[in-house]
Amino acid sequence: MYQYDDYDRRIIIERAQQFRGQVARRLSGEITEEEFKPLRLQNGLYMQLHAYMLRVAIPYGLLSSKQVRKLAHIARTYDKGYAHLTTRQNIQYNWPRLANVPVILDELASVEMHAVQTSGNCVRNITSDHFAGIARDEIEDPRPYCEILRQWSTFHPEFAHLPRKFKIAVTAAPGEDRAAVRFHDIGLRMVENAQGERGFEVLVGGGLGRTPVIAEVVRDFLPKRHMLSYIESILRVYNLAGRRDNKHKARIKILVTALGVEEFRRRVEEDWEKSRTPALELPDAEVARVSAFFAPPPYENIAADPDRLISLGLGRDRDLGNWVKNNVFPHKVPGYSAVVISVKKPGIPPGDVSDTQLDAIADIADRFSFGHTVVTHTQNLVLPDVKTSELPRLHAELRALDLGEANVGKLTDVITCPGLDYCDLANARSIPLSLEIAERFDRIDYLNDVGDVSIKISGCINACGHHHVGNIGILGIDKRGEEFYQLMLGGSPGNDASIGKILGRALAQNEIVDAVEKVLGRYLEIRDSIDERFLDTVRRVGFDPFKEAVYGSADPLEAAGGD
Amino acid sequence: MQIIRDRKIVEDDFIHVADGAELPESGKPIVTLARFLKERATLLPRYPAVGVRIASDKLPSDVPDLAKLALIAVEFPKFTDGRGYSTGRMLRDRHGFTGELRAVGWVLRDQLFYLERCGFNAFEMKPGKPLESGLEAFKEFTVTYQAAVDDPRPFYRRR
Amino acid sequence: MPAANHWIVTGNFTDDGAVAWRRADGTWSRAIAEAGLLADEASAKAIAARAVAAEQREICDPYGIEVFAEGTTIDPLTARQRIRANGPTTPIRRPDSGISR
Ligand code: SF4
Repeated sequence: MYQYDDYDRRIIIERAQQFRGQVARRLSGEITEEEFKPLRLQNGLYMQLHAYMLRVAIPYGLLSSKQVRKLAHIARTYDKGYAHLTTRQNIQYNWPRLANVPVILDELASVEMHAVQTSGNCVRNITSDHFAGIARDEIEDPRPYCEILRQWSTFHPEFAHLPRKFKIAVTAAPGEDRAAVRFHDIGLRMVENAQGERGFEVLVGGGLGRTPVIAEVVRDFLPKRHMLSYIESILRVYNLAGRRDNKHKARIKILVTALGVEEFRRRVEEDWEKSRTPALELPDAEVARVSAFFAPPPYENIAADPDRLISLGLGRDRDLGNWVKNNVFPHKVPGYSAVVISVKKPGIPPGDVSDTQLDAIADIADRFSFGHTVVTHTQNLVLPDVKTSELPRLHAELRALDLGEANVGKLTDVITCPGLDYCDLANARSIPLSLEIAERFDRIDYLNDVGDVSIKISGCINACGHHHVGNIGILGIDKRGEEFYQLMLGGSPGNDASIGKILGRALAQNEIVDAVEKVLGRYLEIRDSIDERFLDTVRRVGFDPFKEAVYGSADPLEAAGGD
Repeated sequence: MQIIRDRKIVEDDFIHVADGAELPESGKPIVTLARFLKERATLLPRYPAVGVRIASDKLPSDVPDLAKLALIAVEFPKFTDGRGYSTGRMLRDRHGFTGELRAVGWVLRDQLFYLERCGFNAFEMKPGKPLESGLEAFKEFTVTYQAAVDDPRPFYRRR
Repeated sequence: MPAANHWIVTGNFTDDGAVAWRRADGTWSRAIAEAGLLADEASAKAIAARAVAAEQREICDPYGIEVFAEGTTIDPLTARQRIRANGPTTPIRRPDSGISR
C-alpha cells in the first residue's frame, strides 16, 4: 500500500499542529463555538448528541495491520474501547474529549493516518471497490488513482468551501460496481476505448439524501492523464454556480439537474479548455511511482483447484460451509480467496469493533493476508489475500472473536447509520432496528433461503445508511417528537442502479420489523423460483403484493394515507 | 485601518466608497462594480489608482478594464462562501490580473493560507480579529500538493 | 400548556461534549434531574441567549426545551431529548461491558 514520503508526512504533521492551535484557542475561550465549528468540521470533529465524534479517514478503505493496531490503541486509550466502521469506508470514535483530539491526531500521523476532510463542504475521503487490486473482473488496480486523488484533494486551496460536501468514488471493474459510483458527486469508471487505451467514464451528480439521483455521464472517455484537470473543471463550475442559499439544494446533483447534463457538460468542457495546462497532466512517472506501492504481494504459486471451495462449502462443518459460501469471494490469483469478515453479530451494534477485536484482526491480517485489511461501505472488513487452503483455520479464529457470522450479503448484514442513539441530525434510531432484525432472522437456513437481499437503515434523510439503494430501505422520520419509519423497496447501488420507493404509510417502531418479515414472507411465496432474487421479484411483480402483505390492502390511497 | 498586504501589516492606502457616497478629492478609491460600470469613464482618469469591489457571485468576466485596475476586492459574505477562491484563481491565471487582489468581509486567519494560494495578496480581516495571528497562518504549511497561483506545478512535478 | 410542563436550558460541555443541563443557580450539571425549571419558553430563550456569549467557554450551543416535571423527576417530551438525557439506548461496546463474549 501507499507509503508516505517526507512531504506527505510533513503535511499531516503540520495539519495536526495547526489543529492543536485551533483547539487551544477554543479551550482558552479565545474563539467561540460558532467560530470553532467550521474549523473542527474541516477536520472530522463533530458534536453529536452525547459527545464529540472524530471521524478518521481511511483512504479507499485500505489499512495496514500497524494502522489497525493504532486504531485499537486509540479506542482503548482515548475512547470507550470501540470504534465504528462507517458507510464511507472510514472509522469513527464516539467519545473523544476535545483536549485529547490533537493527541489522537499525532497518534494517527505516526501511522500515516489523519482526519483531514472527513467532514465539511470539501472533497471527502475517496472511496473505491473493496476488492480493488484482487478482483477478477477489474481492468486495472484503481487504488493508485485513488491515492493520486487523495493527495490532490488534500487541502486543495480552491475547493475548501464548496456549496456542500463532495464525494468521489472510483471503480475499475466493469462487471460489478462495488463502489456505487453512480451515487457519488463524481464517479469514475475505468474503461477501455476502441483503441485499447484506458481512461475513465466520468459520471457526475449522483447521490442519495433528500433528492436521490443516479449520476449522468458527462464524458464517455477521459484519458487518464487528464483526470485531475478535468475534475478541477467540474469542481470549479460547481463551486461558482452551485446553490448556496439552501443547504438541501446545494449538492452538485441539483446543479446538474437544473442546468441539464448538456449545459453542465458544455460549461465543464469550456472551463477545461481554458484551464488545462501541460503541467496539470498526470505524468506516467507519477502514476508509476504511486502504482509501485500497490504491487501485488509475494503470492505463492498454487495450482488452481476450483473444487476446493466447493468441497469446503459442502463439507460436514455447516458453520464453515455457510461461511465459505457467503463470506468468501473469488480472487484473481489461483489458490487465493478474498474473505469478508462480518461485523454484524446479533446483539452488537453493526460496524462496532472493540479494541481487542481490532488487535486480533491486525494479527490475523499479518498471518493470513500479507498484513492488509479493507473497510467496506457495508461496514464490514475484507481480508484480501487469504490462501484458500487456510480458510478453515481462519474461520475458527474469527469465530472465537465473534467475527465468524456467515451472513455477508444476507438479510442480517444490515447497513445501519448511527441514528438517534448518537447522531445530532437524526430523526429516529437505526441501531435498535438493526439489532431487532438480526435477532429475529438469526437462523442460517432462513438467511440462505431468502438469499441475497440488502437492508439499509438511515435515521434521517441524509441517508448515511444508503436506504434508497437498499433492496429494503428504512428511513427514520420524526412525527411530533416521536420516531417513525418509512419502508422502501426496490433500491440497488450497483450497475443495475435503482432508487427504492416508499411502500406505504410510515410505521411505528414496534411495527417495522414485523413489516419486513411480512415483505419477506410474501417474497418467499411469490418468487418464481429459488433463483429469483428478492430485488428481481420486486421488479417483476411491483409493489401491490407487498403492500397487501404489510398494510392488508393494495389500495394506494389506504396504504399511503397520511404520508 | 490596518490590513495584511504581502504578509505584512500595513496602513490601508485605499478608501472604500459606498454607493451614493461622495467620491474623495484625491487618493485611491475602491468602488462597487455597479458604480464602476456606470462611472468608469470619469473614475479611471481622475485617480492615480482605482479599485473595484465585487460580490461573491460575480465573475472576472463581469469586470471591464481589468488591466487598468489597481485593485480588486472580492467579498466573502460568509466563511463558508468559497466562490471567491475560484474568482481569485481565474483573475490571476486566466485574466493575468497583476494588481492587488484583496479579500474582504468574513476573512479569518484560517482562510489566509488558501486565499494566498488562490492569488490573494491582501486581506481585510473580520473586525475584532488580531492581524498578528493572521500572519502566523501563512507559515502553518510548508508543503502543498496542488498547482495553484503560487506555483503552477502540481506537487508531482516538484517532488 | 398543562401546569406540570416547564422549560429547561441545555447544551453540551465544551470539554467533552457531554450533555449539559443548566441548574437554577446558573451552573451546569450532567444530570437532567438537577436542571432548573423555568416557567415558559421566553425565559428559557432569554437565558440560553445570554449563555451563548457569557458561558461560551464552558458550554456549546445552549437552547431551551420543554419538559414534564413531577416530584424530583424531569422527563423530556421528545425521543431526541430523552436519548440525550439517558444516553444511547443500544449497547456501548466495551470489552468490559459483558457484551463481547
Ligand atoms: S442518516 Fe441522518 S441520522 Fe443517520 S448518521 Fe446520517 S445524519 Fe445521522
